Amino acid sequence: MAVRQTVRVRVNGLERVAETDVRRTLVDFLREDLGLTGTHVGCEHGVCGACTVLMGGQAVRACIMLAVQADGAELLTVEGLASPDGTLHPIQEAFREKHGLQCGFCTPGILMTTCELLASTPSPSTEEIKDWLSGHLCRCTGYQQIIESIQLAATRMASDQMVLSAQ
Amino acid sequence: MNANPLSELPQHQLPISQPRYVGQDVPRIEDPLLLTGRAEFGDNIHKTGMLHAAILRSPYAHARIRGIDTSRAEALPGVAAVLVGAEVKAQSRPVFGIPEGWTGHALAVEKTHWAGEPVAIVAAEDRYVAEDALELIEVDYEPLEPMVNALEAADGKGPVVLEGKDTNVMYARKFTFGDVDTAFAEADLVVNEDSRWHRSAGNPIETCVCIARWDPFDQSLTLEGSHRSPLLVMPALVGALGLSPTQIRIYTSPLGGSFGVKTFARYVILLSLLAKKLGGRPVKWTEDRIEHLAGNSSHAWDRHHNAAMAVRQDGTITAVRIRAMDDFGAFGEWLGVGQIVKPITIFPGCYRIPAYEYDCAAVLTNKVPQGPYRGFGLPSHYWVLEQLVDLAAEKLGMDRAEIRRKNFIRRDEFPYTIPSGNVYDSGDYEAGLDLLLEKADYAALKEQQAAARKQGRLVGLSVVTSIEPGLTGTPMLGLLSPRMFSRTSSPEGMALRMDGFGKMIAQVGFPWGGQSQHTFVRQILADYFAVKAEDVQVVVADSSTMQPGMGPVSSRIAVALGGAVVGAAKLLAEKLGRVAAVMLEADPGDVELKDGAFQVRGAPARSAPVPQVAGFMLARADKLPEGVDGNPEVSFVWNPPDHYLADEQGRSHYGVTATSAVHLCMLEVDHGTGQVEILRYVMVDDCGVRLNPSVVRGQLLGSLAQGLGNALYEEYVYDDQGQLLTTTYMDYLMPTVMEVPVVEEYEQCTPSPVTSLGQKGVGEGALHTTPAAVRCAINDALHPLGVHIAEAPATPFRIWSALQAAATSP
Ligand code: FES
Ligand code: FES
Repeated sequence: MAVRQTVRVRVNGLERVAETDVRRTLVDFLREDLGLTGTHVGCEHGVCGACTVLMGGQAVRACIMLAVQADGAELLTVEGLASPDGTLHPIQEAFREKHGLQCGFCTPGILMTTCELLASTPSPSTEEIKDWLSGHLCRCTGYQQIIESIQLAATRMASDQMVLSAQ
Repeated sequence: MNANPLSELPQHQLPISQPRYVGQDVPRIEDPLLLTGRAEFGDNIHKTGMLHAAILRSPYAHARIRGIDTSRAEALPGVAAVLVGAEVKAQSRPVFGIPEGWTGHALAVEKTHWAGEPVAIVAAEDRYVAEDALELIEVDYEPLEPMVNALEAADGKGPVVLEGKDTNVMYARKFTFGDVDTAFAEADLVVNEDSRWHRSAGNPIETCVCIARWDPFDQSLTLEGSHRSPLLVMPALVGALGLSPTQIRIYTSPLGGSFGVKTFARYVILLSLLAKKLGGRPVKWTEDRIEHLAGNSSHAWDRHHNAAMAVRQDGTITAVRIRAMDDFGAFGEWLGVGQIVKPITIFPGCYRIPAYEYDCAAVLTNKVPQGPYRGFGLPSHYWVLEQLVDLAAEKLGMDRAEIRRKNFIRRDEFPYTIPSGNVYDSGDYEAGLDLLLEKADYAALKEQQAAARKQGRLVGLSVVTSIEPGLTGTPMLGLLSPRMFSRTSSPEGMALRMDGFGKMIAQVGFPWGGQSQHTFVRQILADYFAVKAEDVQVVVADSSTMQPGMGPVSSRIAVALGGAVVGAAKLLAEKLGRVAAVMLEADPGDVELKDGAFQVRGAPARSAPVPQVAGFMLARADKLPEGVDGNPEVSFVWNPPDHYLADEQGRSHYGVTATSAVHLCMLEVDHGTGQVEILRYVMVDDCGVRLNPSVVRGQLLGSLAQGLGNALYEEYVYDDQGQLLTTTYMDYLMPTVMEVPVVEEYEQCTPSPVTSLGQKGVGEGALHTTPAAVRCAINDALHPLGVHIAEAPATPFRIWSALQAAATSP
């Protein structure tokens, strides 16, 4: 019988505790033990980026981490981006406007990477955007409209920031 | 808002003076759920008491199964059932396929046919335990010599893949249209090329998912998961399990991409049989990526070509011969073999080629069975045809654009019937070419290329074209199986209901899959009845409630669903119009719908808005005219017009629309490494009226990236024992953002005269054109060195090896 252990994480601002097999991956823990199915699995071997979540603000691939390795961590998943009243996050809004998604399966992972990108580099160049996206596979879009979405999000968020600091 | 192309379209069928949604970048219905992680993809589905399945797969390409011992697996705590081939054979027929009789069962029975073929399936409390159990199953294999060489298979040599057959040639037919022999005999010039296109596949980022539940009390089967269309799955189940369709209910989840893959008939049958063994507990199987790469019936187009083109001195193409031999893998499952015949539906591409011969064959080998992939066998065809055009131009000293212009079907020749019978609805290829050459500044590019060559750089240019048929109908499948497919219908249906406030619910038969179909249903209906987009909801029916419909296959949705939506809207308007006539005290023949209200012809002041009419219809049964029920609801099934069964020669009106594309590629090959760098990529396409331009753009850019993968990177590689060497995304290389160039896009709009709104199919898109554009440009770059690449993908290693060979040959 598999060995079990209690894993305690803060996900999207909420404390979550669950007992899980020590061999369980973080993405299975999120999806199956915590019911956060917005994070997807595309390859389970660390290449496609579909499973990307933020751990302590940094993008990680939840398919090649064990849940127990995340014990005590602060996680952000795609479910934590929009406000509960239904308002999309500016990054999500930009993807919608610029048609940055087709099937939408790779999208949660790409949104999470974009969060970290724009937090660290508010006005990224196209080359920087490509660099950050290079760890994601999208089979539908051909990437151009994803790049355009991120550029729009960056512009909007930078101007929101200016409004905020002016206030 | 952009100028609406519909306003210039006299025959458009929307009763609105100024469409507000059709032709605009209307935000998609599906996005809020997808963006917030709330879309119910197949693997998110959880059922009470649900078990999880894992599949044991053959490690050998070809082996006899002498015995299977599942006792240790069954004894593992948490395991509910193990199913093996003998039980599958006892309870089901082989997986359906055309031509009939070239498949095995859903699990290997006496022997295995490819490395990765399912041998046993386990259901357990969780996936981890199910996979533990796989390790406890003991299979006694006797390895057999594998058949891995398709050329030998075609020649009748080597081991036979399928028990009970005496050949590996599953399908072979030579189609001849026009007097090919005479054209070749009288040609001023004949160019030839032998080429090899290696296997690749759609590889959606979401793998396949199926949840099955058998109800032992009412003897019914329920399936959920990532099925692209219930009516594509249903016949496989009915055929294999001997159930009636009324015993089966199929629900579809949103698809995380499909690109042709998500029929997976073999797995649907397998899960159903496993569910039957579980006495009522649902069981889920989510394919993992390695299974997808090595086990799904999804590889595509593994072709050997011999091609020749007959040309006159002035550049006129008089005939083409192509022999295409497809290494199909172990079985001819489902409709996959159709990919080898599809080229006859558009064989001459954009050109007036009066005679051609297509000699095609599909042979079995001990590799993953092929399945449909976006483009369904056409991308490799254009990759051959367009290279022949370039070879001819080169030999004649003609410019590549001019030889194409010379052979184009002219704008005044539409509708144009090609020798194999298909009819191209409309187009203006010369205008497309002119637009491309002007936007790219072709003359300047040629100068740049000449200058680069002087410096010893390997810079190449190409201009290539393609036709994308907007839906290919069932007569094409009749070529493979006249018994199963003596049919001309390729239906797409819709049910449409309005409430008493004029809000609508449209019901379609297939889920979201990325192409935004549900959104354009909303766009069209909102314009038809002049309501707000939000007033139209689109719901997905299951197999028991849907109208006949095939769903998103073969670039058909804009055309077919577009036809169904307009057809249903018209019927509803007619029905409401008869009620409006009562309300307006007018003759029903005098009442018409215009801008959201029914009005009396010639007296527009006498009018009743649509919601009022619908409300009246629901509320006042006493006032309903004879023969009209109190229900503002209709259904309509669209079918392609003028389709007929193929004649003896193989001629038929296979398609509906013909989208044209012309691409220019300029690239540089690195002499030292064989690496290709795209310098310019410009494309023009004409898919008629764009229902949602941004969505069309997405289809084109995405399919272009896939085409780039085919041209340069993607390949399933086998060793001589039939072992697949590319079983992860580290080995099977799909383009990332780093590989895909920025594309300059231009559009033409020649509205289709045969569709509801002038639209044409464009879902498979640039995948038809890009592989050819890239290869022709590579060969142009290498031409000064006398090097020619005739393999796809043109990997750096292949190019480098060819450069080395040329450098060392005397
Ligand atoms: S699922 Fe984790 S990287 Fe692909
Ligand atoms: S949108 Fe489908 S994989 Fe990216």
